[in-house]
Amino acid sequence: MGTSRFPDPLLVLDSLGEITLRILRRVHGAILDGLASVGGVLVMCGQIMALFPKALSQPESVIKEAMRLGVASIPLVFVTSLFVGAVAAVSAKYQFRDMVPLKYLGTSVSKLVLLELGPVLTGLVMSGRIGSSIAAQIATMKEKEEVDAMSVLDLQPLRYLAAPRVLVGMAAMPVLTTISCFLAVVGAWGVCVIGLGVTSYTFLSGTRLFYSPYDVFVCEIKALVFGLLISLMGYYHGSQSAGGAKGVGEATMKSVVSSSVMILLFDFLIAFLLLRQSPT
Amino acid sequence: MPGVQIDPNDEIIQLRHLRKSFWTTEGEQQVLQDVSLNIHRGETMVIIGGSGGGKSVILKHMIGLLQPDGGEVVVDGKVISTPDYFDAATIRRKMGMLFQMGALFDSMSVGENIAFALREHNPGIPEESVEEIIARLLGMINLNPAFATKMPSELSGGMKKRVSLARTLAVEPEIVLYDEPTTGLDPITADVINDLIIDTQHQFNVTSVVVTHDMVSAFKVADRIAMLYQGHIIFVGTPDQVRTTHNPYVQQFVRGQRKLEAVPA
Repeated sequence: MGTSRFPDPLLVLDSLGEITLRILRRVHGAILDGLASVGGVLVMCGQIMALFPKALSQPESVIKEAMRLGVASIPLVFVTSLFVGAVAAVSAKYQFRDMVPLKYLGTSVSKLVLLELGPVLTGLVMSGRIGSSIAAQIATMKEKEEVDAMSVLDLQPLRYLAAPRVLVGMAAMPVLTTISCFLAVVGAWGVCVIGLGVTSYTFLSGTRLFYSPYDVFVCEIKALVFGLLISLMGYYHGSQSAGGAKGVGEATMKSVVSSSVMILLFDFLIAFLLLRQSPT
Repeated sequence: MPGVQIDPNDEIIQLRHLRKSFWTTEGEQQVLQDVSLNIHRGETMVIIGGSGGGKSVILKHMIGLLQPDGGEVVVDGKVISTPDYFDAATIRRKMGMLFQMGALFDSMSVGENIAFALREHNPGIPEESVEEIIARLLGMINLNPAFATKMPSELSGGMKKRVSLARTLAVEPEIVLYDEPTTGLDPITADVINDLIIDTQHQFNVTSVVVTHDMVSAFKVADRIAMLYQGHIIFVGTPDQVRTTHNPYVQQFVRGQRKLEAVPA
C-alpha cells in the first residue's frame, strides 16, 4: 500500500546515534565521578595522615581502637591462617609427588606464605572484619547526625573519627600479618608431620633454605599498604553513606568490595616494583 | 522579658536570598527558592512550616553544615556561606545546635558527651572544673548528677534531648539552634523542653532559632515566628500577629486544616 515494511534507514541511524550519545554521556559521567572519588580519597588520605600526630597525642582513643579492631581480630587470623597453611602444604605435597624432593616443601610453603598468602589473605579477611566495621560505625554515626554534631562543636571528624582508625589499621595489619604468616607455617608444619609423612626436620630445614629477610620486608610493606587501604576505604564509604539502614548496608558492602579490589591491585603493583628483580 | 535584651537593630543572623537544591532520584528538588530572614540578637525566632519543607536545611546553612547554591548567610557580620573552613570554625565556636534525635555520641557516657568539646577546646582545664560544669549543667536540665556515668542508650528520648542541650551549653554559645526539639515527645516532656529553651534564653542570654511544626511549642517559646512555605519565607511576626493574620497559608498551618480556606478580614 505504498508503505515500506522496513523502517526508514535515516530514522534508524538517528536512533542509533541518540543511543550511542546517551551511552557516551553515561560513560563520561561515570569516569568523571570515578576521578572525583579518587581525588577525594587522596585528599582525605593526606588530611588524615597530617592528623596522625594529634591522634597520637591522645593515645586512649588509639588504644581503644587498637583493642577493638586489632586485638579482637587475632582469633579470626588464628583460625584462617592455620587452615590456609595446612591447605598450602597439602596442595604443594600433591604437586611435588615424584618430581620435587620433599625438602623443598617447607621452602615453597614459607615463600608462598610470606610473599603472597600471608599479607593478601589477612588483607582480604581484615577488609571484611576491620573495613566493614569502620564503614558501618561511621555510616551509623552519620545517619544519627553524630558526625554533624561533632562538626558543630568545632571538632574535626577527620581528627577524632578517621585518624585513630586509619592509624590503627596501618599499625595492626603488619602485626596481624606477622602472626598470620607464623601460624600458616605452623599449620603447614603440623599437617606435614601428622598427615603427610614428612619429618619435622625435613620441613623445617626447607623453611630455612633460601630464606631472605627481604621477603619479610616485602610482606610487611604489603601489610602496611593494605592496612591503609582497608581503613581508608572503610572511613571513606562510611562518611559518604546516605539513606538510612540501606545506606549503612551499601557503605559496608562498598567498603569491602573496594578494599578487596584495591588489595589485589596494590598486591600486583608492590610485587612488580619490589620483586621484579632479585635483591642484590 | 526579664533578663533578655533583644535589640531589633542588631541582626546577629542574616539570610539573604538563600537558594538550595538537592538531587534526588526524581531529579533536582529546589528546597529553598529565595529565603531572606533577619534574626535579632537575644530573641527566640521560631521557623514553622510543613515537614520536608526545608526548615532544617535553613538551620544547617546557619551553622555552615550546608553551603547555599545562591545567596548569603551572615552571622555576626561575617559571611559564612563560603567554603572557607576557618571562618566557619570561628563562627561555630559561637553557635550550638540541638539535633532532632539528640545526636549524642553513643560510645561516650553522658558526662563525657557534655565535657567532650570543653576538654578538647581547653586542654589545660582542671578536671575539678569540668566535673563542676557537668554537675551544674545536669542540674540545669533537671537531671541528677549520677546521670553523668550513664550511657546514651540508657536514656529516654526526652532525656537525650536535654543532655544534648547541656552539651551545647557547655561551650557557652551565643546562638543556639534547635532542630525539632519537641518532635516525638509526649506533651508533658515537650513542655519541659519548651521551658528549657526559655530558661536557656534567660540564663545565658542566647539568641535562639527553633525549627518546629509543633504550634504549642512555637507559641510558647517564640518572640517572633517565621513561616516557610514552598521555599520562601511568607510571613514573619510575633505570636499574636500569627494568631490574627489573614494570611490563609499561615492560618491553614496554625489551625492544622487540610484545605486552604480564605480568612475573613
